[in-house]
Amino acid sequence: MNRRRFLQLAGGGSVAFAAACSPESPKFLFSPPQATGDQVTGRATWYASTCRECPAGCGLIAKNREGRLIKLEGNPLHPLNRGRLCLRGQAALQALYHPDRLTTPLLKENGHWVPISRDRALSRIAARVQEAARRGEGRVRLLSEVVGESALALQRAVLGGWSSPGPTIFEPYAYETLRAANREVFGVDGLVSYRLDQADCLLGFGAEFLETWLSPVEYAWKFKTMHALRGEGKGRFVWVAPFQSLTGANADRWYGCRPGAESWVALGLLGRLLALGRGGHLPESLRRGIAQAAEAAPFPRVEQVSGIPVAHLEEIARALAAAERPLVLGAGMWQSDENGLRVNLAANLLQRVLDPGLLRIDAVNRHRVEIAAPRAEILSLLEDLAAGRVDVLFLNQVNPLFHLPPSAQAAEALSRPDTLVVALGGFLDETAAAADLVFPLAHALESWDDYNGWTPVPSCLQPAAGRFSTAPGAGEFWLAIAFPEGEKPAPDYRSFIARRLFERGLLKTASDWPRMLQQGGLFPPPGELTGAPPADPPDRLPELLRRPPPLPPEGILLAPVPSIRFFDGRGANRPWLCEIPDPLTRIAWQTPVCLHPETARAHGVETGDLLRLSGPGGGIEAPAYATETVVPGLLVHAVGQGHRAYGRYAEDRGANPLRLLSPRLEPFGGGQAGVLCRVEIHPAGGRILLARTDGSRIQHGRKLVRTVSPAELRRGLKPRKAGLTLNDFPLTLPLPEGYDPKRDFYPPHDHTEIRWGMVVDLDRCIGCAACVAACYAENNIAVVGETAVARGREMAWLEIVRYHDESRPERVYFLPMLCQHCDNAPCESVCPVYAPHHSAEGLNNQIYNRCIGTRFCSQNCPYKVRRFNWFDWSWPDPLPLQLNPDVTVRSKGVMEKCSFCIQRIKEARTKARNQKRPLREGEAIPACVQTCPTEALVFGNLMDPDSRVRRLCDDPRAYQVLGYLNTKPAVIYLKKVLEEA
Amino acid sequence: MSELTFARIDETVHATLTPPRRGYWGIVLLLFCGVLLGAGCWVYQIAVGIGVGGQNIPVAWGTYLINFVFWVGIAHSGTLISAILHLLRAGWRNPIARAAETMTVFAVCCAGLFPFIHLGRLWQVYYMLPYPNQRQLWPNFLSPLMFDVIAISTYLTVSALFWYTGLVPDLAAVRDRATGMRQKVYRVLSLGWSGAHDQWLHYSRGYLLFAALATPLVISVHSVVSWDFALGVVPGWHTTIFAPYFVAGAIHSGLAMVLTLMIPLRRIFRYEAIITVAVLENVAKTMVLTGLLVGLAYGTEYFIAWYSGNPVEWESFRWRATGEYAYGLYFMVVGNVLLPLLFLAPAVRRSLPALFSLSLVVNFGMWWERFVIIIGGVAHDFAPHAWGLYAPTIVEYGIMVGSFSLFFLLFVLFCKHLPSVSMTEMKETLAHGR
Repeated sequence: MNRRRFLQLAGGGSVAFAAACSPESPKFLFSPPQATGDQVTGRATWYASTCRECPAGCGLIAKNREGRLIKLEGNPLHPLNRGRLCLRGQAALQALYHPDRLTTPLLKENGHWVPISRDRALSRIAARVQEAARRGEGRVRLLSEVVGESALALQRAVLGGWSSPGPTIFEPYAYETLRAANREVFGVDGLVSYRLDQADCLLGFGAEFLETWLSPVEYAWKFKTMHALRGEGKGRFVWVAPFQSLTGANADRWYGCRPGAESWVALGLLGRLLALGRGGHLPESLRRGIAQAAEAAPFPRVEQVSGIPVAHLEEIARALAAAERPLVLGAGMWQSDENGLRVNLAANLLQRVLDPGLLRIDAVNRHRVEIAAPRAEILSLLEDLAAGRVDVLFLNQVNPLFHLPPSAQAAEALSRPDTLVVALGGFLDETAAAADLVFPLAHALESWDDYNGWTPVPSCLQPAAGRFSTAPGAGEFWLAIAFPEGEKPAPDYRSFIARRLFERGLLKTASDWPRMLQQGGLFPPPGELTGAPPADPPDRLPELLRRPPPLPPEGILLAPVPSIRFFDGRGANRPWLCEIPDPLTRIAWQTPVCLHPETARAHGVETGDLLRLSGPGGGIEAPAYATETVVPGLLVHAVGQGHRAYGRYAEDRGANPLRLLSPRLEPFGGGQAGVLCRVEIHPAGGRILLARTDGSRIQHGRKLVRTVSPAELRRGLKPRKAGLTLNDFPLTLPLPEGYDPKRDFYPPHDHTEIRWGMVVDLDRCIGCAACVAACYAENNIAVVGETAVARGREMAWLEIVRYHDESRPERVYFLPMLCQHCDNAPCESVCPVYAPHHSAEGLNNQIYNRCIGTRFCSQNCPYKVRRFNWFDWSWPDPLPLQLNPDVTVRSKGVMEKCSFCIQRIKEARTKARNQKRPLREGEAIPACVQTCPTEALVFGNLMDPDSRVRRLCDDPRAYQVLGYLNTKPAVIYLKKVLEEA
Repeated sequence: MSELTFARIDETVHATLTPPRRGYWGIVLLLFCGVLLGAGCWVYQIAVGIGVGGQNIPVAWGTYLINFVFWVGIAHSGTLISAILHLLRAGWRNPIARAAETMTVFAVCCAGLFPFIHLGRLWQVYYMLPYPNQRQLWPNFLSPLMFDVIAISTYLTVSALFWYTGLVPDLAAVRDRATGMRQKVYRVLSLGWSGAHDQWLHYSRGYLLFAALATPLVISVHSVVSWDFALGVVPGWHTTIFAPYFVAGAIHSGLAMVLTLMIPLRRIFRYEAIITVAVLENVAKTMVLTGLLVGLAYGTEYFIAWYSGNPVEWESFRWRATGEYAYGLYFMVVGNVLLPLLFLAPAVRRSLPALFSLSLVVNFGMWWERFVIIIGGVAHDFAPHAWGLYAPTIVEYGIMVGSFSLFFLLFVLFCKHLPSVSMTEMKETLAHGR
């Protein structure tokens, strides 16, 4: 070989080598460049929009990177949620980039789905609609989700053009009883909002306002405004219900009541409060009416029926009577039966008795979900369908086949051959699967629209992401299908909305519209958003209350309740919502049926045993979960799972308890009756490996969660004599002052300007897991699935640990647990390669590239907050579009954990550095802190003596979890304040 | 040993090196398949991820580390017997010294594999080496895992050299009787040993030197291994007793493995005259001592857990005895402490079946001791909300089978190809009468 030949071969070889080495370029790091002018690669663009995951309508801002939406945060300007989102809102992105999302219209031919073009689908629908319109009146019907004003107007116009009545708004939980009660007692035909924040004593009969009821984020911050420690006292929250739910778990006192007997308690309290001299301001007719009605429920009788001792009832009555600003909330949103109605009526009456001006009721800022049709109207629409009075039925993002009991015959009604059923929406759920044509719509985050979570406060929706498919938004669809070219009320839906807003006088000048899009809505300045109490409450007793309440049903009863994770079932296909465990059971991916340990024992059942439940409408199978948060004799099963269609994450997973019901109607409000249904339990044989994320239910005296009573606080917590044990170890801040040569071998770290730290106020944490969802979204945390969770391999960097009290197991505590970023970190010293690294700002960084996977750090972490990549976890396409490009996707074999969202810190710091100024307080906050609805989490620089975190460290409630190990955690907890601590 | 002569020793040992029968190759093939199985499982694990094992959070260490400690433990008695007993001039160790040393070398090999098998990213293991690099990253010498790397590699080096040094004169003796290819191989292996006076002089100096070098290692290696645990904060690990406790346990398990290997070896190779029952009896007596030492450690752990008044520590030990893995604790107490006490009865320690079965019991018990410590500690540590259980998976069992197969494969190959009893030392014993 000569020199030339060698060089030739070597050159060719290197080229071949280099070519072969270039890996397949990683997909989805950058989406096809459809970026608009305001987008810069590497820099996020934020668009204001509105969350449509539930009817509450919180404002959000969507973070767009290179055309992809990677994170949702609450819109700080929106008066409802004030910058916060719940876990379902955070997970809206997973609907946008869901692997099962439909992109092309599907036509059912001979029972099979055939993709057809958009134009063919539109012309096919248009032809049928025209034909139906010609045949007569009311032959085209629309069953729609709750929509905003503009959409509703358009729907009405469209249907009117086809000589049909307006849309029937279907909401599985339509608050029939609450609306009836508001009408009867407040004289408001709608869903008023409540000024929880102004109350000092709160009584709830089941209204799950921290989870799903009306507007959970709004009520979460309002609740903590009244309930968090202020000075030395705090508002009181009393819960009277047969089971706790997350809301009840946050009460100061839970009075377990026999299921169905809440109406007796409420009535009894009415009578007692009148007897205590309250209600003097009421019109005589009403007061006498109440007194007469309450005669049926004297306390001894109430005790008999409800199981709540007279002494406890007296306690409640006294607390209400003594309160200056009491507020009474009614039944849970699932309680559409007579009991629920009576509870709501009595609760509203209680409010009238206790609150002369109804000052804590806001009749102006009402909840949008009030436009939902009562169940009766839905059933009558189904009757029309079954009778062949409808030719074309549009289903706008609703899933009645899942929500109605099977015996409502909805499936049969939809399957009539002469009716064209068009399902609009992104997913092939049960109802879409039963339709004749499925027409995909753009996701709410890709469309123009407006919405008003509070009726008078419009907020906008605008396309915030690069288009995922060519599917039109709902408004565009109606414009395209209903109006021939030239006759359209507006050239496009965006102009339609703008025009509507001008017509309604909400937009006044041309600059208002872009400002609305910038701000996310038309929000009055905080001070001006006043609202008003109901103007003219009627002065007679509601007819229904003249009869004594019915006795609660006997036997084993089942309550199908909404789920904080899946709402009414619409969230069941979002992987994050499946993976994040239920706050109370700590079970992921599955929905157990909760029952009291006594009931379990009586039926010879243990947690994990599969139960067969049969009710009036059918039967389901579900695993048992014994918990003291439910009264004996009651089964509680959350609604949400048990889908027969709805994509890979929801299909054939769990059971749907609504199938147990029979489609009876409660005559007064028009809601589903018999929701508290009598069931028989049979062991179905076999056990299920529950995907539990908790180890022990109790803390074995270790004081990880600590409580203090207001009385103790008033007395002043004495500075403890410092020792070295669990009980007397001093607070050792991760700062030089936390070091003591007597305890410490090594010198303190030399942080120069910044030492990041977090304060977790357990008195404010409600356990809602919004932070967990935000963490999943922000940090590309893998979803591992049911089996892996059951094997202890969940990847959550932040979890809301739940502990039951050791002596009072019905008392539940929540403890947000994340990496404590210890100054004296046990993980750092044991790693042979320095993968856990203590940064100059005190962060305990995990260097993924350096990690070789010995897992010693996790073994040595007393908090067990480290998570290991047992496999290469995967995101089915197109879910990776959501991944945060600022955060590494971890590969198999490396350890990971909470980083205090270092990418957000770095972004803020870079910005500050570019502007040549120091980082300001509140500029860098982790995703969990950002979204916490109750501000339980505070983040900041511990070295800054004026920072909020530093000042909170001086709170007498401050302590460190397992501080006595001298790890010097940078996460400081504040004790929960409990009356009976 | 009166009937032993130099010639008889030579004959007996040389007889073991005759060309093996087919049954032997059958066993070799079977063990080789076992090794392949383990290797296959390992390759599968590397390809798919460490998650094919049963580890989780909180129990992030599983059978790989149990087996690691188990094999390191086994590796102890070889050096104890060959080095410490050599220095103490305990002549009864001579017949079994060679086999025990071989056992040591092979067990360290098996043990050394497990930290690699255990790693999440095996392909990055070189990060543990202090190699020069652009970013000036250095391994963390505070980490007990770095201590391990150093301790195990030192131990492997010294024990292999010690073993080989002792082997040289015997290899030469085999060379002298071998023919053809075998002779060439043994010629290379015996490093030109001619039996000259100055060679013997250097040899005995060298052997003594290695014995002296190896002796502290017996103590240090398992002390260091114990610090993997004792330097952690985990309740049940974080205790000063761990170093002597682990060393005693290691010797205990190593002695048991010596019995497990010697009794069949003695029978198959007709070593009855060389490895006499009295030798085995001495091993059994030592095991009574080590068993009691281990028992003392178990008791001390419980006493301190109670006496410390530390609720976390006490709960950990309470759970050990009553929780899901309580059976492991009873296996270890009964197998390691109580049953070896039977050796106090001369009839038991002279009965080969009893010796053999009790040695298996102790091996089993010592494996469970490591299970109880390694799994039990973290499964039930500080944060009750994170408590969790662990169960090995089929892949882990596959790798475990592979490691045992590898050990026995190497040992089986050794006994048919190298002198499994030290002729030199036997002759010395005969000459010196001790």
